[in-house]
Amino acid sequence: MSTDYTYDEEGHLWPFFVFTLTFIITLPLSFLLFKRSQDPAASFPRTKSNFTHKHTDIVESLRSQEKRKDRKLWLIVAVVTGWSVMGYMLYLINTTEGPSPQKLWNPYDILGISESASEKAIKKAYKLLSLKWHPDKAKPNPALNETMEDINNKYVEISKAYQALTDEDVRNNYIQYGNPDGKQGFSINIALPKAIVSDSNGKYVVLLYSVLFGVLLPYMVGSWWYGTLRRSKEGVLMESANRLFREFKENIDEGGIVTAFSTAQEYENLLKGDKADAGLAKLESRILADGELTPLAGGLSLKDKEKLEDIESGPQRKALALLWAYLGRIELDDPALNKLKFAVAPIAESLNKSFNAIALAFGATAPMLASYHTNQLLIQAIPPKSSPLLQLPHFTPAVVKAVDGDSKGHINVQDFMDRPDAKRRALVVGKGLLSSEQYNEAISVAKQLPFFRVAKAYFKVTGEKFILPSSLVSLVVKGRIVPPGSENVPEVDSLDLEDPDPAEDDLDALLGRKTKKLVGKDEKGKPIYESAEEQSIPVPLVHAPYFAKDHSPRWHVFLTDSKQGRVAVPPFTFTQFDRPIFEADGKTPTFAMQTLKAQFQAPPQPGHYTFVMHAVCDSYVGFDTKMEVTLIVEDASRAAELDQVVEDEISEPEEGEFGFYSKQDEERFTDIETDSIAGIMHAAKGGAPLKPKVKKVKQQEDSDEDSDEESGTDDDEEDDDTSATNTDTEDES
Amino acid sequence: MFDINWRGLLLPLAYLVVLVGTFMTFSTVYRKRKAFQSANLAPWFGPHLQRNIYLSLLHMEPEEGSEKAPKVPESVIRAALLRRALEDLNRIIQIRQAKAACSNLLQKGSVGDDLWQRFLRAEKEMEEELRDVVMEANALVPGWGQIIFQTANEIAANKALRERLEEIEGQTEHEKEWWEKKRATIRTEFMKELDEAESKSVASHDEPVLVDTNVSSSRPSTPGGAAKKGKK
Repeated sequence: MSTDYTYDEEGHLWPFFVFTLTFIITLPLSFLLFKRSQDPAASFPRTKSNFTHKHTDIVESLRSQEKRKDRKLWLIVAVVTGWSVMGYMLYLINTTEGPSPQKLWNPYDILGISESASEKAIKKAYKLLSLKWHPDKAKPNPALNETMEDINNKYVEISKAYQALTDEDVRNNYIQYGNPDGKQGFSINIALPKAIVSDSNGKYVVLLYSVLFGVLLPYMVGSWWYGTLRRSKEGVLMESANRLFREFKENIDEGGIVTAFSTAQEYENLLKGDKADAGLAKLESRILADGELTPLAGGLSLKDKEKLEDIESGPQRKALALLWAYLGRIELDDPALNKLKFAVAPIAESLNKSFNAIALAFGATAPMLASYHTNQLLIQAIPPKSSPLLQLPHFTPAVVKAVDGDSKGHINVQDFMDRPDAKRRALVVGKGLLSSEQYNEAISVAKQLPFFRVAKAYFKVTGEKFILPSSLVSLVVKGRIVPPGSENVPEVDSLDLEDPDPAEDDLDALLGRKTKKLVGKDEKGKPIYESAEEQSIPVPLVHAPYFAKDHSPRWHVFLTDSKQGRVAVPPFTFTQFDRPIFEADGKTPTFAMQTLKAQFQAPPQPGHYTFVMHAVCDSYVGFDTKMEVTLIVEDASRAAELDQVVEDEISEPEEGEFGFYSKQDEERFTDIETDSIAGIMHAAKGGAPLKPKVKKVKQQEDSDEDSDEESGTDDDEEDDDTSATNTDTEDES
Repeated sequence: MFDINWRGLLLPLAYLVVLVGTFMTFSTVYRKRKAFQSANLAPWFGPHLQRNIYLSLLHMEPEEGSEKAPKVPESVIRAALLRRALEDLNRIIQIRQAKAACSNLLQKGSVGDDLWQRFLRAEKEMEEELRDVVMEANALVPGWGQIIFQTANEIAANKALRERLEEIEGQTEHEKEWWEKKRATIRTEFMKELDEAESKSVASHDEPVLVDTNVSSSRPSTPGGAAKKGKK
């Protein structure tokens, strides 16, 4: 150990050390705590509704329980200790006397002149001072407690200062070391308390080290590692994920998925001990009683009933029974059972994430869709194959029956809301049905539900006219949030449907950091866009009075191959939109055109690929869109040819998206191609002179199309454009 | 030659012993646990009922009192083997389908490692099982081993088709009932409408009559209604 370094013997430096250390640890922890204590759901808008049911209090208490679970006690303790330690250290730093700092020696101060003083002024000041302070002249002033020695010292100082400013050597010393006498001694202290290094404490320090690195570090690494092993990527227990994988079948339906959920280990933990069997008989008799809409009150099919009865009694059977009771909204007349009934649904929702990942890995469409539909059912507490109208507040089976009548299928919320007010009021308001206030409440909620109506979907490659093999294709989905029953829906502005490429010099936009904003139109009516700051508008939290967790709706967009029933492009998930959905009052829809974009790699072979695009909302039943889209991948050489023709003969080739035709248009396109070069030009231009809109989506043959027309939605043009807002929940199986 | 300070060496040696000792304990405990876990993995498939039937038919125990085991007809054994092949086929298809998905999910961390272990073991078991079935088939009828799985495949396809058919046919009753009900309601509504229309037209016809004679006013309407009811 060099003698230059000393440990902090007086104890005035180590508080600095400890302060810094605690600061480094505490600050991120405090930030974390702050972030956690803020309820992320609080910033989201909510669907306005005063609807309460009999067990709203249970649902609310479970919701707040869920939020509390996020808060961690150890974090609070750590942050509080950290700040108190820091406070104490600050106190120590302020109160302990530090080593008196050596004053900077400044000759100008001593002579009492400014630093810019000339040599003459220096000389003058020195003369004056030396006259005053010369030991022969000056007399010690008893009042100031001066002695002869002080005066002597003062005089020496003055001479030194004068020399420093005039004598060459002394001046050099002053400049280099800050002192006319030359280099001064200095010391470096290490801000560790002496106690740490003193011999007598050595063994404790070693002990501390070995505990830290030999026990605590391995323990923390181990607990982290086994913690990650315990849960799957989707956040469910690994064992549950394994069991779900075992339960997966290619032809599984919603009921089968619910049955699969009941195998999860989460339910074993929830229904420990005597909870596993308590009230099971009563529960089962309730759900297997005759139902109003479905053969059984729990809404389970006979197949599901068999499955339930095959399970040995225990946590799994009870969990399944509770799930059916939840989906069937069955009153259990037992506070403990009712509470469990609401507690099983959020667990099932989290299990569904895992199931969804498994279904995606298998790549079959039907289980994927079934999984999304199960999610909708869980959030809305509706049994499989039931009426979507049950999503509306106060709608009981009796009311649904009154609306559905004898028809085999179910009337969904959109169709119901498209009817004139008087007509639907006559259907559902009455004795044993809804009261007028209840009806108004239901309608007001229905008018806030965010139904994403797709206006157009097409493929494009940024900056290219054609889609070449293996290029990075964007699927652009344009659509608007049109709540069911909205009146005066404006027509779709065809300019809104375009997706212009950002300017070539706008790097931020090209890299996807910014979105574009429509700022105006040029003289030819082409839109002018300007980069705007990224805007992300959250969607109101799901209106789900029975679901004991705040949930923000998501939309999953994916492409499937309908012939093989397999997923072609895995789902892209959207939780936020780029334009406002509702006006400031949170109720009036803006009908702004929203853009959803998803990128994937084009197939390596040129050709026409027909996909079925599914846009599924995970929270509302009957809000799914299914439509056919065609991806045209051009051979590179052919694309170049077409491009050449276009550039030679046409002064202003139309911007880009070229991938999306209806069936008839495709045929026409190929016909024209073979005819003449002019035909190719037409086609390349998007066939503008022949037909204003070539890039139209083929209307999905749709069973409820008729009813759409009947009910006379505001504009036929719109219906045509929105191309298959196929809102059927039918699955492909 | 060297003056070794043994006492001074004691500490580093103790350190080494503790270090090596810890590592060895850790590794043995860890390995033992792993071995225990993999030995206790639950099987992927449940008990193989068809195989058990086949094997018990093949190795019938002699009944009490008699010396010889009861003779099982050859055809029964063959049928049992075919059933066994059918079940094996089901299982192997399940495994084939699940393999890519399982390894994919394992890589992403969506399922656990022990599932994969179980899966691999099941795959190996099935390979052995298939080989066994082929050998058994060849032993029963020379050359049957090559085609037994083809036959099983046909049976499986047929079975699946028939199940589907039965499911669809099972719905007919329900559908019929629904349609009858629907037809009845449509008819009654239609008739009601017709009735209303008729009575309205009759009433409008009657009006001038009504002005003339009060008594005869109701007469034309009653026979009309009666005639209509008769037609139904």
